[in-house]
Amino acid sequence: MAASCVRTVGSFLGKCTKCSSSINTVATQVLLSRQVCVSSALCRKNLAAAGPEKFTLEYIQKQVEEYEIGKRHLANMMGEDSENFTQEDIDKSIAYLFPSSLFEKRARPLMKHPDEIFPKQRAVQWGADGRPFHFLFYTGKQSYYSLMHDLYGKILKIEKHQDRLRAKGLFSQDAQLISLGPSRWLTKEELELLLVETISTHDYDRFIKLMERMLAMPYSSTEEEFVQRYRRQLEAQSMKQMMPPLEKDENGVAFSTAEGRRKTSDSSVILRDCGSGHITINGQDYLQYFPVLQDREQLMFPLQFMGVLGRFNLECTVSGGGRSSQAGALRLAISRALLSFLSEGDGEAMRQAGLLTPDPRVRERKKPGQEGARRKFTWKKR
Amino acid sequence: MAASISGLLKPWTPRVFLVRWSRYNPYYLEPEVSKEAYSRPETELSAEEKEQRELKALRPIKAATSGVTSSVFDDPVISKFINMMMKHGNKVLAREIMTQTLENIKKKQVEKYHKASEGEREVIECNPYTIFHQALENCKPVVGLASIQKGGKYYQVPIPLTDNRRRFLAMKWMITECQDNKHRRTHMYEKLSQELLAAFGKEGNVIKKKYELHKMAEANRAYAHYRWW
Repeated sequence: MAASCVRTVGSFLGKCTKCSSSINTVATQVLLSRQVCVSSALCRKNLAAAGPEKFTLEYIQKQVEEYEIGKRHLANMMGEDSENFTQEDIDKSIAYLFPSSLFEKRARPLMKHPDEIFPKQRAVQWGADGRPFHFLFYTGKQSYYSLMHDLYGKILKIEKHQDRLRAKGLFSQDAQLISLGPSRWLTKEELELLLVETISTHDYDRFIKLMERMLAMPYSSTEEEFVQRYRRQLEAQSMKQMMPPLEKDENGVAFSTAEGRRKTSDSSVILRDCGSGHITINGQDYLQYFPVLQDREQLMFPLQFMGVLGRFNLECTVSGGGRSSQAGALRLAISRALLSFLSEGDGEAMRQAGLLTPDPRVRERKKPGQEGARRKFTWKKR
Repeated sequence: MAASISGLLKPWTPRVFLVRWSRYNPYYLEPEVSKEAYSRPETELSAEEKEQRELKALRPIKAATSGVTSSVFDDPVISKFINMMMKHGNKVLAREIMTQTLENIKKKQVEKYHKASEGEREVIECNPYTIFHQALENCKPVVGLASIQKGGKYYQVPIPLTDNRRRFLAMKWMITECQDNKHRRTHMYEKLSQELLAAFGKEGNVIKKKYELHKMAEANRAYAHYRWW
């Protein structure tokens, strides 16, 4: 591994002179005498000592300029409008120009704004005389402690406000708590990103407790804007449902197609609004294909739940898996196809009944040293 | 398949799949299958139920299992009993036994009904589902025993049981009793229907077992203070 390679520059050039006689003979004569010894030990850098790479502000600004210019070039290359080239368009273009089938998404070619690529770093915290700018610098976690300090200052302010109201006789216990709406506190990772420094779980818990304490006080609505900065809105899950489009075939009958998967089964269902209630699976009648009652119950479940049992014709195809997983795949496909015929409230009811979630349970692999996924070999004392 | 699973587990998951526990993120809530729960208007709900509803609107929900439906014929207690009877994953056989048991109970009760005089007819219960539920209720123990170590010795201490534990014990006793203590040549559905009808009438081996457990708990009443929870 630590072999030192002795490269003789002269002999290398000598070989070159055999192929091309254009090299200066004088230079070769001078160089032939020198032997350059290069050991690979010199090339090895002590990476541990270097520490994390520091990016200067100028460097990042240069990267941002390069990114903007590159964005315009990319837009021109793709024939798109360079003014309104969004990040999604960039991603699509890069995926088109550099197709990669790597499984790890983070290893694929990437073009994003430098703010998202380079980790946020702190500027130097002390001046030319060596004195730190922030008064809490020597705590080691200055942003966190200054945040806690500000928060406590706000609590004291609210208490003072309460005292003033009490003195005037206008204090009422159940006044104006902050209405937060559907939202959650920032997670520890997000808070670390905001403060640009690491905090422990203990610190994070204390922060949340202090926030909750402030929220519980009456007249805390004065600090609503401050609190909202540390909360994220939760959007309703029903917004995330993908509804299959409603199409019409030649006879004017409305139909929709959807797919479903469960374990190793794949199914595809065409739901037609005919009014007869026939069900065909892989060309066979459903009574023939599923002789077991439980599987037929699973097929009927979404239709029975919505009360539209006799209304739709189902034309299904299913492959793979066993009888129960095929029934589950069909159930998911039917529920998805049904979404396009129903209102939003009904769709939400189906989601809450568990009909629209693909079941993530799959067969657990067998592990080495055990007989099955969980079963261990018979334990013998000797 | 992997793509669809990774789509489920955002944004509150660790990157590593939890293999030893549930495949679902703990953020997911249980599904509510009955139709009546969704038809109740806003005015009838208490504050807690309103909060529950709002929470359900924001959180992802687990998929419904393949044993439950929204049909009127679906009974969670009977499904649990079928699962407990099932051996080596043979759900078809377990379900077959259950339907035969219920049919058998109905047959016996209807026979009894027709043979009985006018006055007795009102008392005879013919619905096999009510008989099953009532028999199970009669088999449920009220207190159980726990083995607690104190001063080097193990004592049997009477403890209160949760609802789930009581139901589990009743079902387990019923099934083991039918499997072990009956004549070998009778079918399982026959054994079960006999035992269920006996439990409905507060007789039979399972009821006896429950009373024995209660007597043991009463006898060990002195050690009740060893329980610390």
